[in-house]
Amino acid sequence: MRFTKLRWLAAISAAVVALAAFAAQAATPHYGGTLHVKLRASSVSLDPREWAPGSLSAAAGEKLASLVYDRLVTLDDHAKFQSALATEWSHDAAGRNWQFKLRSGVRFSDGSLLTPADAVVSMQISLGKGFEVTSVENGVAIRAAHPVPDLLEQLASGRNFVFRPKPDGTLLGTGPFFVAESVAAAPAEANPTAIKPAKIKFQANEGAWSGRPFVDFVEVTLGEPPLRQLLDLQVGKADIAEIAPDLVRKGRQEGLRIWNSSPQTLVALRFDEALAAPASDQLREALWLALDRDTMANVLLQREAQPADSLLPQWLSGYAFLFESPMNLQRARELRAAFPAGVPGAAQPLRLRVDAPGDLFKLMGERVAVNARQANLAVQVMLPGSANNSPALAAGLHLFAWRYDSLSPRAELEAFVKQLLGGADLPANMTDPEQLFAQERRLLEERRILPLVLLPEYAGVRANVHNWNASPWGDWRLADVWLDSEDPMTTKAPTGPQKNSSTARNPGARP
Amino acid sequence: MRSGGASVQFFGKTCSKPFSKNLLFPWALISIAVSAAICCVSRPVAADGDAALRETSQRLAERVAGIPGLHGTLRLEWHPDATWSEGESERWIEKIRDEFERRALDLTGEAGAPVLDVFAAETPTQVVLTAKTRVSDRDEVRIIAIARALLPPAASPAAPIRLERQMIYESPNRILDAASVENADMGGLVLLLYRNYELVALRVDARGVVKQSVSLNPVNWKPSRDPRGEIRMRGTVVSVELPGKSCEFSWESPADLKCRAEKSLWRAETLLTSPCDRSDWKLFSSGSEPNAKDVLQVVPDGTLRESSAAVLSEFPGPILSSNGEQDPSSALVVARNLRTGNYEIYEITLACGN
Repeated sequence: MRFTKLRWLAAISAAVVALAAFAAQAATPHYGGTLHVKLRASSVSLDPREWAPGSLSAAAGEKLASLVYDRLVTLDDHAKFQSALATEWSHDAAGRNWQFKLRSGVRFSDGSLLTPADAVVSMQISLGKGFEVTSVENGVAIRAAHPVPDLLEQLASGRNFVFRPKPDGTLLGTGPFFVAESVAAAPAEANPTAIKPAKIKFQANEGAWSGRPFVDFVEVTLGEPPLRQLLDLQVGKADIAEIAPDLVRKGRQEGLRIWNSSPQTLVALRFDEALAAPASDQLREALWLALDRDTMANVLLQREAQPADSLLPQWLSGYAFLFESPMNLQRARELRAAFPAGVPGAAQPLRLRVDAPGDLFKLMGERVAVNARQANLAVQVMLPGSANNSPALAAGLHLFAWRYDSLSPRAELEAFVKQLLGGADLPANMTDPEQLFAQERRLLEERRILPLVLLPEYAGVRANVHNWNASPWGDWRLADVWLDSEDPMTTKAPTGPQKNSSTARNPGARP
Repeated sequence: MRSGGASVQFFGKTCSKPFSKNLLFPWALISIAVSAAICCVSRPVAADGDAALRETSQRLAERVAGIPGLHGTLRLEWHPDATWSEGESERWIEKIRDEFERRALDLTGEAGAPVLDVFAAETPTQVVLTAKTRVSDRDEVRIIAIARALLPPAASPAAPIRLERQMIYESPNRILDAASVENADMGGLVLLLYRNYELVALRVDARGVVKQSVSLNPVNWKPSRDPRGEIRMRGTVVSVELPGKSCEFSWESPADLKCRAEKSLWRAETLLTSPCDRSDWKLFSSGSEPNAKDVLQVVPDGTLRESSAAVLSEFPGPILSSNGEQDPSSALVVARNLRTGNYEIYEITLACGN
């Protein structure tokens, strides 16, 4: 009897110690472990040179590239630019000539030193024409063809990473991780009709100038079906997973911790250039008036999207609320009735090609056709992979997704115009928000682009993931994330700069 | 040439130039100390920020006053950014109203008067002010923007506290620890900062002016994502406790930094002594996540957390350290303000009664 009591006491004591240890671990950063991440993109390029502006795949690439490469500067959540590879910077009064001093002693993941020449090569590639990048003592100088007061915003976002191309074409970075393993998607051995998704394994860079990341590895699985990703989160096979907007409600109902960014993706319609002729002005105006954006955002996307009236989102421009896209079916029908002969949408249907991949965009394309029909406009939807979507068939209208990737509204609008409308650089004074607003209003009034909805980025984050501090513009900052140790009873002493534990909850105790 | 991280951008960069190893020579340290004393004062952002706020309001008022055909009385309708506190919103609208009136724009509260809408919105780097009104049959819009980093930090709402609490220093740089200077001649604080991926000790006088700055980069010390350390001062000797390492130097000869590898002797938990009945009270903070506001709990020693006798004080972000070594009834608490991103040092004092 006495023996049994002692055993009980010992067991309870052990449990209390384990619980205390677990509580302490929950409060104190923990080094080690593998962070399992699932992204919706089926393939990703970590080479910023390959990223098409505004593409969804570039966004996934940028998210992972920030594990491997660094930028000259970063922007924190309090509107302050923070030094990264550049420790100091200065510019002339006009904002045309900039100088950046590079941090000394920074090494690439292969141990070689970062030099100004590396920064010159990568910055020249990412900034492109209109910028001349040269090396100066301990740094780089950037001379622009016109004033760029928003250069820091540009350098802190998009593809402006510093890297060194290797002879084999791959790139070296100075970031907190390096690529340890990359496995392409392939047929499964057991069932060759099933495809094993691509995986990329990132390993902690012990010598990272910014400090070793907390986790040892980040294992990224690409392109699994959205429902499968949700399930993986629930059963613990994923720590962080992107969630499709139409599954967010389900995730919330099932108690998942769901993070969302500011709206990052614009879904919109673009008229083909051939339809930009004055004769089709009425067609474009009629379709614009027929679109029911509120239903798209609130019903189709279950309130997980916002109706879009502008090209740039409010969080980026600050003035998007000035734009309105009132639905007016009556006026749309009147315009339709007055169509000149030969305009698509009347006798012959207007072909709408869905350029963006995924079921969500198919649904949106079909919804556009429904709205058009209500105004007596004939729209034929050409879905990706369907029989009627032959590249030989010209489409008068495209449904596309544009992913914002710059923190400079001027640079973003410029990239948008160049990529989608074949336009030129915006005038230099476009950093004045009133000028930028006027330019955007002019573009919208042309009705070549009809914004539909804005989508935030959603991710499910398991409770074992700590210090999740993603930026509102979608930088996940995974190097700062740490995980609970799997089993508090068997926690091993981590290697590297393990911190003293146990009392972070108590501000007076040892740190 | 404007210096980017300096006056153009924000205060922190002025004082956060990295010190390379050769700057550990005394002559360089003296120059750093002098420049730091000139440029680094506590809460300098507010002074410049008020001017920036006024100048921005002036620019908006000038643009609005220049709208052709705009005359008569106007009803100003203010639409602040949804994330702003009431105090922040009021600070802006007061300045805007002043500047509008200064330019003879006649403002009224009458419901029938034409409306002048003024909107404020924050972007990642700017505050964008938009004025919109209707003149004859057309909409007139005027927009201006100001870098958020140039504006004063938002005022924190006053927490309902029963402790005496006073913010005595703030910095955009990460403050790891702080200690009071006991020496009556010197006064002020000593701080341990993690600035630009380096450890720096600062001596700050009672007015918040940085008097001396010493770069600490012990051999084999590496930058960390979770930097930790404690600073103590005895006379003019400063000791710095780091994980697995203890260092000492004197403000008089800071180049003689001596470090030795040894098990860290971290500070014991913070106890405050009540000035009323000499009873001991223990400090706890509740948060474990770095992105959440923290509540400081002061509970009678020997009782559990969340006891009914607890004195609570909400901080504007996570509490990072506390140090009650130098005064039995008060302690220094370092917290991060999640709204501004700045690190703030509070002196908390246990007081009797309400």
